[in-house]
Amino acid sequence: MSDLTYVGKNIPKVDAKEKVTGQAIYAGDLQFPDTLFGKIVRCWEHAHAKVTHLDLSEAAKVPGVVKVLGPKDVTQKLYNCGVLDLLASEEVGHMLGEIEDQRIFTDYVRHQGDAICGIIAETQEIAEAAAAKVIVKYEPLPVYLQPEESAKPDAIQFDARKPGNKAFQLPEQMFPNNVYGWGDVDAEMAKAELIIENTFQLPKVKQCQIEPHAYVALFDQRGRLSIWTSTQMPKLVQNKLARLFEMPLSKLNLIPTTIGGGFGGKLGMIFEPETCAMALAVPGRHVKVQSLREEDWVASESRHPGKYWLKIGFLKDGTPVAADALFTADTGAYFTHATGVPFTTGAWLIGMYKYGAVRYKTNAYYTNKAPSGAFRGYGNPQTNFVLEQTVDQACRQLGIDPVEWRKRWHKQVGDDGWCLGIPYASSSLTECLERGAAKIGWAEKRAKYANQSGPKRRGVGVSVMNHTSGAMPMLLEHTVAKVKMNEDGSAVINVACSDVGAGSHTALTQIAAETLGIPMEDIYIDNNMDSAGFDVGSHASRTAYVGGGAVMKACEDVNRQLIERASTRLGIPVDQLEIKNRQVVSKDGKASMSVKEICNVGVSNYINPANGERNGVPGQIQGYASHFPSHNSPPFGACFAEVEIDIETGQTKVVEMVIAHDIGRAIHPPSVHGQLAGGAQQALGMTLTEEIRYDEKGLIQNNSFFDYKLFGPLDMPKLTTILVENPDPGAPYGLKSVGEAGTVNPVGAVANAVSHALGIMFTEAPITPERILKAVNERGIK
Amino acid sequence: MKTRSITLCVNGRDYTFEVPHNRTLLQALRDDLKLTDTKYGCGSGECGGCTVLINGKDNINSCLTLAAEMEGKHITTVGGLTKNGQLHPIQQAFVELGAIQCGFCTPGMVMKTASLLAHNPNPSEDDIRRGLEGNICRCTGYENIIRAVQKASQMINASATQCAGGACS
Repeated sequence: MSDLTYVGKNIPKVDAKEKVTGQAIYAGDLQFPDTLFGKIVRCWEHAHAKVTHLDLSEAAKVPGVVKVLGPKDVTQKLYNCGVLDLLASEEVGHMLGEIEDQRIFTDYVRHQGDAICGIIAETQEIAEAAAAKVIVKYEPLPVYLQPEESAKPDAIQFDARKPGNKAFQLPEQMFPNNVYGWGDVDAEMAKAELIIENTFQLPKVKQCQIEPHAYVALFDQRGRLSIWTSTQMPKLVQNKLARLFEMPLSKLNLIPTTIGGGFGGKLGMIFEPETCAMALAVPGRHVKVQSLREEDWVASESRHPGKYWLKIGFLKDGTPVAADALFTADTGAYFTHATGVPFTTGAWLIGMYKYGAVRYKTNAYYTNKAPSGAFRGYGNPQTNFVLEQTVDQACRQLGIDPVEWRKRWHKQVGDDGWCLGIPYASSSLTECLERGAAKIGWAEKRAKYANQSGPKRRGVGVSVMNHTSGAMPMLLEHTVAKVKMNEDGSAVINVACSDVGAGSHTALTQIAAETLGIPMEDIYIDNNMDSAGFDVGSHASRTAYVGGGAVMKACEDVNRQLIERASTRLGIPVDQLEIKNRQVVSKDGKASMSVKEICNVGVSNYINPANGERNGVPGQIQGYASHFPSHNSPPFGACFAEVEIDIETGQTKVVEMVIAHDIGRAIHPPSVHGQLAGGAQQALGMTLTEEIRYDEKGLIQNNSFFDYKLFGPLDMPKLTTILVENPDPGAPYGLKSVGEAGTVNPVGAVANAVSHALGIMFTEAPITPERILKAVNERGIK
Repeated sequence: MKTRSITLCVNGRDYTFEVPHNRTLLQALRDDLKLTDTKYGCGSGECGGCTVLINGKDNINSCLTLAAEMEGKHITTVGGLTKNGQLHPIQQAFVELGAIQCGFCTPGMVMKTASLLAHNPNPSEDDIRRGLEGNICRCTGYENIIRAVQKASQMINASATQCAGGACS
């Protein structure tokens, strides 16, 4: 389909061999001489309490303990572990107000797992033993687990700067009446001939990356603070740590390690502040912090749960005249991402369909749960559960086929995307719907499963989604790429872009190989953060799109220099030269110079003593790009799911799934398929099995893989992924994103399939066997 | 804590060292022998990330196994499957089929596959799914892993010289 050599090819990933042999080094694998071990001591027994007494003396006496650190022994600066404040303009920052509310060690517990103190010891075992000797007394406080509880007037205020425990609403200055949308919703809604209105309850779900958070930090004699971390966002975390510890960026040395999964769970700082604080307390010695799996659920962020009210008015012909929505988000114990997810949850709603008018409002409240934050999809899976079920309910009542309705009403090229004012430049959603429907046998199965009896009921459902490639214009989008051409013609690409496992380093290498016209084996992606320029990091499905754009431009800069030098040497105008097969050749084919020769002469540049002439143009060739994308090239996608439900056990088996994705161009097709399949596993969990459960004291009941059920290999359905490739005009090589997209539309597709099978719409996720049995029994389905 | 001197044969090499009685095999491999190719994912046998082979055939969660109990046993980790820099067919299949994303579950997944194929050289797709049930991957949706196991099975069966478990010699 294309004349490209490296882009679009099914080749092994650049890092696959080191991972499959166990040679890839994750943060927990690091070994340094004379390493100390840090233990973060957490509050496990309360979700809301004041520390009335902290006694570290017994812990300090344990032989092998080097230092104990309480709240007063570390910086008193507040921070927000999220990074969105670094990505928004000062003007926007002012609208959001004060969002820094976290401390390294606290004397006021806002959720189970809050950090109380730190222990630094000669071995992990000694640190653990000393942690058991820490004496903490608490004064328990009322626990608020839902926004409606913390929002009550007499509730304890989490933060005097955020009255009513309301962390966020859409700021008036940017969103008049705190509304995102368009048109006169009340007037348009009045025209509706059918109104579908429901309140949905969305679960708190966990990223569950398989690598538990681990770090090493060292404060050395030069005054540099080094931190080895598997963060998704090296540059922004470096920035955050430099601010927190009041150091210049040149003294904050962040060394990225192989990332054992992220999914948003390593977006921003996680336990870097505690680790760095411990290293600063023991200058000259490495401090390693290996967190435990069970800590991850209590101490790190999850997807935002909440209540999502949605009302859509339709005409009898299906016209969606108006949509009215309110998302009440539970941001958990700290502010973290209280702005981002509540905003985007509405943005995905707005980007999807051609409503006559739409009004989205959101309020985010503090509760005593672990903080909510970034999780792959960033509000989109939540919206998908709500919006796509609402559409299907309308289709059912109007007698319209759900696929046909979506083909008629989804946004198209020229319509505004998730950010009003940024129109879609490409859309292949109709093709996704058609190819997906054909693959799963939509029409036949919809008819076949219309009237069923017996204990096992089948259903088939569809869902669509829109997403984004990078977060412009709401957030900063910027990547710097440098391409150093070695004297043998091979290239080293220096970028800060991380690879969370999605294959972005492979895609960046392919883009470089394609643009430079040299084999992938001759290109290395260098991730050294001292030399790398700025990059936002891995979030918002941006790395192939923005990082790829930067790499492409930097490689084009190399090509320009190669041609200029060949032009000087050959005496041929630059417009008569091109690069082919590692040669700069004249378009008439008569003259050429090899890329290797130009690169080599640029480095080993000699003057002929006899005549004083140089043997070529001097100077090592380096390409550079500081890339700010001009668009966000949103991808679309359609998912189809078939389920079988046992109405006597309540068990749902997802039998088959087809996902058709509007990828623009697949740079590395196996990775695109992999993102869709892996995203589906997470989406299926959120829809059917996954939820962090709290008891009435606010303590987590299922912080283990035994009790928090992920979809396993036996649970996964037969899966077909279809890549619809129509290149986007504004994107590098036409690519659009896939990273987060996978987690989105399986949510709505499975929920709609359940609804098709049973004739019951579930407003609460996950749709567990208990909920199914209850609903089946209440409705007397036999 | 009392200690005991033990000898483990790991990837064909004997190591004699002193361990506390409560030291897990995972800790012994990672912290004492500095063999970090076997991963800590949960420490309680739930994720399978620390799976290793015992005597070339059986798989265990090294986080649930005491090092002291492994005295005299042959242990194979994912690094031990690679001979003279040559990938084992299972590793080759994982690379070729795109079965690796973040790679953190990969060592355990490869060793579970080695055990599965040592016991059942021609597994059905259902056998594979059942066989991998104790190993969690959060990246791939298992799809490409299952294809890789199928391919590895074909590659091993086509080769007279390779043994699935890559047992210690």
